[in-house]
Amino acid sequence: MSTGSPQLLVALVGNPNAGKTTLFNALTGENQKVGNYSGVTVTRKSGSFRTPHGKKVELIDLPGCYSLEPQSPDEQVTHDVLCGEQAEQARPDLTICVVDASALERHLHIALEVIELGHPVVLALNMVDLAEARGIHLDPTILSEELGVPVVPIQANKNKGLIELKQALATPFPQPASPKWKTQGSSDDRQQQRSAFISEICNEAARREDDGTLTLTDKLDGFLLNPLSGWITLVAVMLGVFWTIFSLSSYPMDFIEGTFADLGDWIAHTMPEGDFNDLVVEGIVGGLSGTLVFLPQIVLLFLFIALMEASGYMARAAILMDRLMNLVGLSGKSFLPLLSSHACAIPGVMAARTIDSAKERLITILIAPWMSCSARLPVYTLLITMLLPQASSFSQALVMLAIYSTGIITALIAARVLKGRLAEDATPSHFMLELPPYRLPQLGYLVRHIADRAWAFLKRAGGIILALCIILWALETYPKPAEGSAAAEDNSLALEQSYMGQIGHAIEPVFKPLGYDWRTSTAVVMSFAAREVFKSSLQVTYNVSDELEEDQADMLLHEKLAEATWPDGSKIYTPATLLSLLVFFIYALQCLPTTAVVARETNSYKWAIGQLVGMSAFAYVAALVVFQVGSIFFK
Amino acid sequence: MKFFRRKQEPESCENMTLSQARPGCLFRVKALQGTCCSRLRKMGFCEKMEVRKLSNGQNMLCTVCGTKLALNRKLADQVLVTPA
Repeated sequence: MSTGSPQLLVALVGNPNAGKTTLFNALTGENQKVGNYSGVTVTRKSGSFRTPHGKKVELIDLPGCYSLEPQSPDEQVTHDVLCGEQAEQARPDLTICVVDASALERHLHIALEVIELGHPVVLALNMVDLAEARGIHLDPTILSEELGVPVVPIQANKNKGLIELKQALATPFPQPASPKWKTQGSSDDRQQQRSAFISEICNEAARREDDGTLTLTDKLDGFLLNPLSGWITLVAVMLGVFWTIFSLSSYPMDFIEGTFADLGDWIAHTMPEGDFNDLVVEGIVGGLSGTLVFLPQIVLLFLFIALMEASGYMARAAILMDRLMNLVGLSGKSFLPLLSSHACAIPGVMAARTIDSAKERLITILIAPWMSCSARLPVYTLLITMLLPQASSFSQALVMLAIYSTGIITALIAARVLKGRLAEDATPSHFMLELPPYRLPQLGYLVRHIADRAWAFLKRAGGIILALCIILWALETYPKPAEGSAAAEDNSLALEQSYMGQIGHAIEPVFKPLGYDWRTSTAVVMSFAAREVFKSSLQVTYNVSDELEEDQADMLLHEKLAEATWPDGSKIYTPATLLSLLVFFIYALQCLPTTAVVARETNSYKWAIGQLVGMSAFAYVAALVVFQVGSIFFK
Repeated sequence: MKFFRRKQEPESCENMTLSQARPGCLFRVKALQGTCCSRLRKMGFCEKMEVRKLSNGQNMLCTVCGTKLALNRKLADQVLVTPA
């Protein structure tokens, strides 16, 4: 114990939904997300505050867990930190156990386990108001005497009892308690001892009167978990979410596109002409606008997911989906990761941490990228408008739905196939989920959470995508044609002689069986770094000027693509080619950051690279089949 | 997977699993048997605890010490209860 150090290290431990994150925010003033889907806190978070005595305290928020015998990666982290086995993390000087006073019998388990570790513990009895409203008579004094540790009643969401809690952290620390329950014997014996002890002290210190009346949450659940009305609600919610995302976001998207077009114009006219002007206007402004335009859609999708989590509906949706997921060998716990993957596969893969079964977790991570993420949208939109130029927006929306379903259905089939191939878990795990009471989401948390996500997206746009845009621009600009040569007059000839043209021609044979010419092949290869650049890349290679208004640029790109021909005069962009491109984009894993995250989360390059190669090969074969079969029909 | 499962009547009131128990009633956990005991205990299904079963189904709902839980039938099969 490092009492000599000027700063105290304090860890927060507790079951999921005990209000740990709320207490963490209340103590440190740190902003972070709160949700009540079991186990939202998955990464290590720390903040600091001062005790009333002026001592500085560093607080670590450990992942919520039910026990110190780790079953999921989250619980492993908590166990390792408390036992001082976590790399690069000192053992905490003191542990605050957060327990939900309204469910003390359940929450005391982990508290007892932490006390058994033999270092100083303070018990924070959270949600005392809720407990009393439920007819539980609490007696913190008895609790404190029986457990041998200080007990502080608090209401973290209303900032009550925080001063008392901070005072309890004053040095000298509370002495490590000597447990009054038996701590010898096998793991099962010890657990039974703890259970017996807990029910004993709860009889004294937290008497409960269960009158069996239905709460509002029970009544809502009766409707929302009903096999008929529950499913109707879930389908309506999902349709509503996706419809809103596509319809509502068009206004801010138009605005962003317009602003970037104006900005490009303004720069083009104010800066002296030359390579640098060209780089800024065509490379940077043009390239970035193609990406940033999706910010509204991503923000809306994350907003809906956060709303579902914070209101408590996500757990209900997971229960309903459990039955469907069982058909392919997954459980309801895979629902949230797969839903999040529709925004972006990266948070989806990370959300898979809450799945207990290692096998299900791996399968979920492996299939997550087949959920069509928001980066594929621009590609889908471009291809659909070319495939059905005259169709109404409704039938275009139907095609979009079909594309999303193709990804989902193939992913589920893949899950079924993988389920039979992968090794079984050592211990079987069955679906069990805590249903938090419904509550109104807190606006402040929603805003901060969405701002975090938006910022992460902007950083990505400012980093890898900006770099790619500049590389693309350089590849299509150099080597510059000699003065007076034919290429200097003809832009498309200059492009064909550029590095990009040379690369494109080199890889064309690979993609020709799929129906792609060298320009499309280049765009496809470029999009392996980030899908968003597919459209920008086509605009560059088909020589659509960025100085035009975005609407005009879109029109021109369509026209140019529609007019593009092979050397023999036949059209390149036949319906078969477009379908083959669509299929390729549904299946190909064209996102290096996802591969990096999968490698980190599965702790294995084998799975990450296998997924990358496997999905891309599948995409190639599927697109090949679609083009070859399609060419027979669309002659 | 079976979509429709014939309702199994408990052999006697004194020895039934949580999945056989009637929804809406209050029960007391008598014993746990099976592979997932430790997980169940940590979630609050300990001996002598009171459980109120709320609904049947593949995932049944119940409340244990004030917390609402959904649990799979296979887990509920491992919880032996008696009427409280």
